[in-house]
Amino acid sequence: MTPDIAIVGIGETAPVRCAERDLRSLVIDAVYEALDDAGIPPGEVDGVVTDSIVMPTTVPHDYVMAQLGATSRFDGAISYGGAGIACGPLQAALAIDAGLADVVVCYFGVDWGTRPSGPYGFHDLYPAKQAFEKPYGFNAQPIYFGLWTRRYMKEFGLTPEQLGSVAVQQRQHALMRGGGQMTKPLSIDDYLSAPCVADPLRIPDCCLITDGAGAFVMTSRERARDCRKPPVPVAGVGFQSIPVSGDSVFTQDPNLLTTPAAQAAADQAFNMAGIKRSDVDFLELYDCFTISVLMQLEDMGFCEKGEAGAFFESGRAAIGGDLPVNTHGGFLSYSYRLGIEHVVEAVRQLRGEAGTNQVANARFGAVGGFSLPDYGVLILGDDD
Amino acid sequence: MTIDEMTSAADIAIDGFQPFWDAAASGELRFPACCTCERFHWYPMVRCPYCNGSDIEWKSIKPIGSVYSWTVVQRPFDTAFKNWTPYIVGLIEFIGAPGVRLITNLVDVEPQAIQFSMTVSPAFDLYDTAESRLMFRPKEMPTGSNQ
Repeated sequence: MTPDIAIVGIGETAPVRCAERDLRSLVIDAVYEALDDAGIPPGEVDGVVTDSIVMPTTVPHDYVMAQLGATSRFDGAISYGGAGIACGPLQAALAIDAGLADVVVCYFGVDWGTRPSGPYGFHDLYPAKQAFEKPYGFNAQPIYFGLWTRRYMKEFGLTPEQLGSVAVQQRQHALMRGGGQMTKPLSIDDYLSAPCVADPLRIPDCCLITDGAGAFVMTSRERARDCRKPPVPVAGVGFQSIPVSGDSVFTQDPNLLTTPAAQAAADQAFNMAGIKRSDVDFLELYDCFTISVLMQLEDMGFCEKGEAGAFFESGRAAIGGDLPVNTHGGFLSYSYRLGIEHVVEAVRQLRGEAGTNQVANARFGAVGGFSLPDYGVLILGDDD
Repeated sequence: MTIDEMTSAADIAIDGFQPFWDAAASGELRFPACCTCERFHWYPMVRCPYCNGSDIEWKSIKPIGSVYSWTVVQRPFDTAFKNWTPYIVGLIEFIGAPGVRLITNLVDVEPQAIQFSMTVSPAFDLYDTAESRLMFRPKEMPTGSNQ
């Protein structure tokens, strides 16, 4: 059954590598912007949801509710990072549909541009990683995905030009839009001459590092009709995790070249929404690396395995192509806030507020949230 | 942080990790296997992830592996590794321990000479108990071998 809720407000801070304000201030700014966008007074928020690892240890729920002067009747946290953000509406739907809350805020922010260990410290929570991986210099995401990419190229015949076409396509989207962190054009020749970080991955294959935050506000579809902007219905949400721990998932998953849980999470979301893959007008996928975009496109069921490289290279993922992907430029060229910007962008597209990057007649959009070994899929929109 | 200040792997006090390092120090390669279903798993776990068995034994295997994938790291992501670059991280599979893949550094080989499924063996002679790093190098084939 499709959830009876809608997203009614969105907010995000400006994409920058290093912000002048601290992370808590950035989160509060984004939450206030989202509430203003919805036309809902801060004191009326009575529920709050986030991921379950990053936010609770940096900007906890109680801090945010105190800044809103709001009394919480519900709080929830699921997965971490990307899957947690995409599944914020899953938690909100459980609370709102059960009458436990009326107005639920989902927020997320990072200060990895200024925090010394950036994104690399996160995996320290796994002892086996510290014992059997870090001593070999297997200590950062580009290295993990570099291993995957080399093997994927062998198994599926992916070419450097196809991989690079993801970076080139998303840079075009970011420049068309403006306001993102990357401001210079990127040609395929620029890509092929860029230095390797962990071969075969080059600098443009890797996501940006950002200080920033985003937020979105959810309420029942009934109340949503009285909000400031046209509501964007939550059509379906899916969450799934495979039984491979976060310390093992980059090396031990038997299906190492398949995005863990992506197909099952997508199936759940599409079944809930009652629509087909072909009903989706655009995708916002967790593009931590170019290779992860290709794998998700395949594993969510939008291409056959091994065909996503050709899909991008032929321009089908462009705005104006048959299935635009990462319409704001994504983590590779717009900003990297682990996917809260993907939800914000999907709402803009479905409201018709995406300006130069508007996907014509967009009715349904899907967001893919990736947090190994978890995956979350959020489908927004309706038939109108 | 310098390499000297970095926490060595052996300092991480986790139950069940030590047998790997003890084996490496004595020139052996051992991985945990379930006594009930006989399947190997990696990393060490409290229960067998396949049959939930609690009787787990470290089994010695023939120290020959095969390269599943590798990457040449050009930029350090931790200051402790700034003098390492470029270095080769390899992911190795073992006929003797199906399902196990081991992260290592490939040494005594030029990056362009590495191939998928290349046979490698542990560099036990380079193993240092203070660093607890078991590196691998291409296996020398007996004279007359076609490989």
